[in-house]
Amino acid sequence: MSTKVDAIKADEINKTKKRSQSADVWKRLKKSKAAMIGLLIIVIFVCMAVFAPLIADYDTEVIKMNIPERLQPPSSEHFFGTNEFGRDIFYSIVYGTRISLFVGVISVGIALSIGGFLGAIAGYYGGKLDNAIMRVLDVLLAIPAILLAITIVSALGSSIINLMIAVGISNIPGFARVVRAAILSVKDQEYIEAAKAIGAKDHTIILKHVLPNSMAPIIVYATLKVATAIMATASLSFIGLGVQPPTPEWGSMLASGRQYMRDQMYIVLFPGLAIVLAVLSLNLIGDGLRDALDPKLK
Amino acid sequence: MSESLLKIEDLVIHFETDDGTVEAVNGINMQIDKGRTLGLVGETGAGKTTTALSLLKLVASPPGVIKFGRIELDGVDVMETSEKDMEKLRGNIVSMIFQDPMTALNPVITVGDQIAEAIMIHQKVSTQEAEEKAKEMLEIVGIPGGRSGEYPHQFSGGMKQRVVIAIALSCSPKLLIADEPTTALDVTIQAQVLELMKELKIKYQMAMLLITHDLGVVAEVCDDVAIMYAGRIVEQGSLHEIFKSTKHPYTEGLFNSIPNIEDRRAELKPIRGLMSDPYNLPKGCTFCDRCDYAMAICQTEKPKRIDFSDTHFTECHLYSKDKDFKIEMCKKED
Amino acid sequence: MSKYILRRLLMMIPVLLGVTFLVYFIISLTPGDVAANILGVGATQEAIIELTEEMGLNDPVIVQYGRYMGDLVTGDMGTSYATGRTVSSEIGQRFPNTFKLTVSAIFLSVLISIPIGVVSATRQYSIFDNVGMVIALIGISMPSFWTGLILIIAFSLKLGWFPSGGIDGFSSWILPAFTLAIASTASITRTTRSSMLEVIRQDYINTAKAKGVSRKVVIRKHALKNALIPAITVIGLEFGVLLGGAVLTETVFSIPGIGRLMVESIQRKDTPMVLGCIIIFAMAFSLVNLLIDMLYAYIDPRIKSNYS
Repeated sequence: MSTKVDAIKADEINKTKKRSQSADVWKRLKKSKAAMIGLLIIVIFVCMAVFAPLIADYDTEVIKMNIPERLQPPSSEHFFGTNEFGRDIFYSIVYGTRISLFVGVISVGIALSIGGFLGAIAGYYGGKLDNAIMRVLDVLLAIPAILLAITIVSALGSSIINLMIAVGISNIPGFARVVRAAILSVKDQEYIEAAKAIGAKDHTIILKHVLPNSMAPIIVYATLKVATAIMATASLSFIGLGVQPPTPEWGSMLASGRQYMRDQMYIVLFPGLAIVLAVLSLNLIGDGLRDALDPKLK
Repeated sequence: MSESLLKIEDLVIHFETDDGTVEAVNGINMQIDKGRTLGLVGETGAGKTTTALSLLKLVASPPGVIKFGRIELDGVDVMETSEKDMEKLRGNIVSMIFQDPMTALNPVITVGDQIAEAIMIHQKVSTQEAEEKAKEMLEIVGIPGGRSGEYPHQFSGGMKQRVVIAIALSCSPKLLIADEPTTALDVTIQAQVLELMKELKIKYQMAMLLITHDLGVVAEVCDDVAIMYAGRIVEQGSLHEIFKSTKHPYTEGLFNSIPNIEDRRAELKPIRGLMSDPYNLPKGCTFCDRCDYAMAICQTEKPKRIDFSDTHFTECHLYSKDKDFKIEMCKKED
Repeated sequence: MSKYILRRLLMMIPVLLGVTFLVYFIISLTPGDVAANILGVGATQEAIIELTEEMGLNDPVIVQYGRYMGDLVTGDMGTSYATGRTVSSEIGQRFPNTFKLTVSAIFLSVLISIPIGVVSATRQYSIFDNVGMVIALIGISMPSFWTGLILIIAFSLKLGWFPSGGIDGFSSWILPAFTLAIASTASITRTTRSSMLEVIRQDYINTAKAKGVSRKVVIRKHALKNALIPAITVIGLEFGVLLGGAVLTETVFSIPGIGRLMVESIQRKDTPMVLGCIIIFAMAFSLVNLLIDMLYAYIDPRIKSNYS
């Protein structure tokens, strides 16, 4: 019996363990009705985003002004009514989904990679490096996240890319902290010492042992942060930074529709509901994930 | 009969959870007389802690349900006692100390206050008098009274356990329930805490229910022993009877699991298998799968109680036909 | 204890310095000619050059920053490009409004959320708990500016109970304060509940019960104090979110506060004003966090002894 065969066997056992671990988590997640509802809602949103062109033609329905049909209440022709330029609100929301989800996910991706990297090396190496990184992050944390994002966008100019950068940067310290905490909790476990004892290199240890075991809180955090990123996008667009009309975005739709809200309530009701549903669904999933990944329960 | 401080009759406790019903305690009978110490021995999951909590009516409910049984504490029927009246008994007539001293004390309240609290609830004294008494209690358990203003995190594990004992004894209870009081401590500290408990037992003339899985501790402190397995008491007797004329195969297994200092080369003889799934207990004897003496009847019928003396009984099919049957370890004794 | 406070105050200084540097640097990236914007359309080239020179805008950013900091220490935050008044006077005028708004919002939040969180935890799985948690979940998912608009439609435009904006009189503060409070209330309730649930499972709660302590006292004296520790941290964080939210709420309800000032200044490219607003927000946030830390140390003796 050569050690190579044993190693292959061990590898396979590990792989099946990982597979059954994710299957296990999925099973537990399914138990939560709330999380499943959240999942359903977000899947609907994703479909809307992906299949938007199939639902409505961008130029004719969303961008083109249609003054004769302006300020129409919801009807069979215009499900959510039309806004002050005659644009169909429902189709605008559908296309707005693209922006919200896109900016939400990308900005969290930026925050996760940069913040996560900083947090990982700070947590793993500790000492002066840790101190230095945390001091810098303290500065970022002293400014409320939205205000930081507002500052960045106001300096860089309103565009989707700048939105992603701004929201992404404002989330970096949060991710750094979460990743750092997760690494710290795993770092001193004995299996890490064991890996070091057999001479594994640092980056191997981090990638193969530390990160997989600390993933749980990071995944939950990332999910919840996509939710706040969507809110931030809408908020920034609402105050005029970020996406500009006629590009449909849920927040800017609220801003421009505001003056008509007295008599045409639907103008502000539906885009807002879209924001609420998207954020709510992600919060439900995040909560469900937190319970499903918690080793203490069962 | 008036001597008995604690009397449990046919106690049955279930935990009704989403995943099924756990039959935690399945009909046990127990009696502790004044000033006697009963050791309740068993593995984790045998139902010992649940039994203890039920004496104070502290079983978490939901999901715990006391389905059947009678508990008589110092003449009082616990089942019929209201929550308010139970509060008068707890810490006063009967006290309980829990397993892990590291988490048993409230981190944001001083140790002195935690002791004084018990005193002020049950005795009509002023705050000052209670604080004085608290300092005295600390001294009794071997901690300088001046430290009563300190917080739990400022004490070591062993000292924390002493504080827990001080709290439990502050109102001179008639019965002390100690749930694995030394399990979480170092061996040397274990010895100290046991010594302390023995002293206080005599000083306060207390009866004690000592829950443990360590037979060594039992030998040190207990007068009587009850062996618990899967929610039933499978053997009970005086210390001498249990140690010298062991009857139940499980008890034998426990003794065999202790390494033999005298014969260093002897193999350890662990009990094979694991305890049955509490969600799904077997029809016959619950120890059947792990028993070296198992017979056909063990699979299908629950064993009945066989008495060997006023104090010694066991539940095992081995003795229903032949009371003089001897298990392996007792054969050597002859 | 006072040593701890002193230490934390000292630690605040480099952080705030860092904030000013960071924000100054970011804002310096704003495109566009400052002098040209101030003088407006139709300004001559010479006038623009002259003003640029006068304002020291040709110097490297570091030097400009140094000058700014020098002025800042004396309390001079520069002059608004838009109104010509000093930044500090504009901010000073608006500060009380933002202060009233955020303080009443956080006060409201804490008042509502802690009791609800505690009751939810002690009656876990009850109808109160389930309904409460659903409401809380929806609460954290509602963007404050939308909530504000909806509340205005319902209570102001349709029912006419409250004014839809401005700051005349007490009733005009009610809707804005509630709007701002909703998200933080929901968040603090959830944290209090989960923290309480964790505490209730602790061994020392059993020890207290075994002593004969009554249920109410167990909750109040033994559980609550421990459960508040993480809740207080969240309250501090929520205050930061509130400050950001104030920007939106002030816009929706037309409240002349620092948040709205900041938004308008951004639109008018009035950089000194934007800078001033951010710095004030950062200082306020840092002070609140300091207070929270002090409260933390006061409640949790383990922290106190670490710093004594």
